Amino acid sequence: MAVSDEATDEALASRAALGDNHAFDEIAIRYQARVYRLACRLVGPNDAPDVVQEGFLSVYRNLASFRQESRFGTWLYRIVTNAALMHRRARTRRPAESLEAFLPEFDAAGRHCQTPAELQIAERADELLDRRVLAEAATAALDRLPDLYRSAFVLRDLEELTTAEVADVLGVEPATVRQRVHRARLMLRGYLCALAGVRP
Amino acid sequence: MTDVSCQIGVELLMDYLEGVVPDDMRTILESHVAGCPKCTAFVASYLATPRILREATAGTMPPELQKSLLAFLRAQRGDGRR
Repeated sequence: MAVSDEATDEALASRAALGDNHAFDEIAIRYQARVYRLACRLVGPNDAPDVVQEGFLSVYRNLASFRQESRFGTWLYRIVTNAALMHRRARTRRPAESLEAFLPEFDAAGRHCQTPAELQIAERADELLDRRVLAEAATAALDRLPDLYRSAFVLRDLEELTTAEVADVLGVEPATVRQRVHRARLMLRGYLCALAGVRP
Repeated sequence: MTDVSCQIGVELLMDYLEGVVPDDMRTILESHVAGCPKCTAFVASYLATPRILREATAGTMPPELQKSLLAFLRAQRGDGRR
């Protein structure tokens, strides 16, 4: 059966759930680049291919459970994110060094400890650092975030889902998403400061 | 309350950006940042952080992986065995 360019994700999912393999291929083609990028951000480029395969296989096997209560893309992101988390947990790896040290510092009165120039340096990290160095450092930094913060930050800030969509994907309240994304931003901002040569 | 510390401002920054702080607190935060060069600088770097991480991790899927993914999915479904 030919698949129309106009078919919505949800229509393709319905047809795929009824056994239309061409419809599922179309879903894979539509989403593979986004799923790969998401997997790279959640588990790193080395493990991303495995997570992409596991994620799409899980999507295929669970098509019948897609109730069309949320957008298909949101549902797919949930499955791939879960596949990535399971993949990370299955790996035997050293615990990543915490990024807590990169949180902002304040004096006893609650004022920033640094100068405005120091505080702003993270904004110019992409100008100050070699592109490849920054890419490697960014991947390493994401790997060092606690799992809960990483998934929220990646979905909200890197994949640019809305806070409500991230809450749906992760099965938590929007306020929890905001708290996790905020902590991740603070740590990563401090990390960029350190990369650019300034203590957080 | 007419002002907050930098630390409180940082704690409320995400909620402020998402529009979920009360109007009176929003006004206080905006007034604080407008008069605090350190917070102005901090907010600029906080806002830039997602963009920098997004651009630095925007890898593209290798073409060979695209081919192998479809082949993997077809094999898992047993295409061609029926």
